[in-house]
Amino acid sequence: MSCEPEKVTALVDDALAGGERDRALAHLAGCPGCREQADTERAIHEQLRRLPSPEMPPGLDTRLRARLAERRPSPPGRLALLALPVAAVLLLVVWARGLAPVVAWELSEDHAHCYSHAEPPARVRSTDPAVVGGWFSGQGTPMPSLPAEVGGTRLFGARYCYLPDVSAAPHVYYIGPGRRLSIFVLPHAARFDDGYRVRSGGRTVALLHVGPTVVGVVGENPADVETAVQRLRADPGSRRALAEELALSR
Amino acid sequence: MSLDERFESEVMPHARSLYGTALRLTRSPQDAEDLLQETLLRAYRGFASYRPGTNVRAWLFTILHRVRTDMLRKRGRSPQTTELTDDGPAVVPEHETRLTSGNEDVQRALAAVPEVFRSALVLRDIEEFSYEEIAGILGVPVGTVMSRIHRGRAHLRRLLAGRTP
Repeated sequence: MSCEPEKVTALVDDALAGGERDRALAHLAGCPGCREQADTERAIHEQLRRLPSPEMPPGLDTRLRARLAERRPSPPGRLALLALPVAAVLLLVVWARGLAPVVAWELSEDHAHCYSHAEPPARVRSTDPAVVGGWFSGQGTPMPSLPAEVGGTRLFGARYCYLPDVSAAPHVYYIGPGRRLSIFVLPHAARFDDGYRVRSGGRTVALLHVGPTVVGVVGENPADVETAVQRLRADPGSRRALAEELALSR
Repeated sequence: MSLDERFESEVMPHARSLYGTALRLTRSPQDAEDLLQETLLRAYRGFASYRPGTNVRAWLFTILHRVRTDMLRKRGRSPQTTELTDDGPAVVPEHETRLTSGNEDVQRALAAVPEVFRSALVLRDIEEFSYEEIAGILGVPVGTVMSRIHRGRAHLRRLLAGRTP
């Protein structure tokens, strides 16, 4: 075999196999020039192998991770994934909001929430049904006639309460010694048999249709709830009529 | 383990040796940082299709060399066309021809080897890849790898020989 310098390189790198390797070794044994090349290349390999690995500049690692983080699925992408279950829940909410048990639960929770304050949060405070009803009518919300008193309670005031589906429902407060009552006017239709009653969270909830509106009554005292339902049912349908009735009854 | 966690545990430990190779190829810390960054970004994009258990290190160095080739092409340079024909040592600055001994001299001599040979030397002698792996990384036949390593070492030998009085 004549001198093949590239084969010597491959031999140094242990990249020859079988007969090729044997032939190269045999040639090396009788060729001082190729042996010298092999020794030199081994020395170079060792020198390079032992070179210290360059340090990364300070902060590069942080910069790299920051750039990589930018390329990761962006927040909108992740939000889109989150949005799927959220959308499903919203659909469910929209579908379920007409279900009487769901509506009753919502109203019962809101009743408890508002009366958990020392004084329920009211946007309009008056014992006069005309004032409270007028406040809602002034904002374009049709209202049934409100009683001034229900059982042992008296009209206190009202506000809009925001239901989980972000619709707003008038919430009217009636307060008496040791007893509280809520009348809600729902902004959407509810699917229930008229006269629906349920106990929810230790409270009685009644749902009824009053003219075009759906009204919910909530209270700890079932008798007060019944009284309110009767008063609302008996309502002639207009505040004026109610006011006149009240005026006559005084 | 999420894809991000796998990337962190399988790829990021190689960042330093990739940086070392990037610096030895580009000879500029700024270019090395750009090269490493683009390499990791491409690796990140391709990581989902990378099969666990295969040679992640060789895969990363393959990306690095592709990115480097793209960088040179954009600058209108190619190591193949400008340096492959250069059979003798590259022009070495005066102070680098009077090398004495030690790592710094070897580093300088290596930096003076034309890049097409230097990349093969770095992969073989520093990163200790096999000829087959280097062939895969550079996308050339094993015979070409052998030839480039041989010529790279010959360059280096001439450069280092210049140090002796």
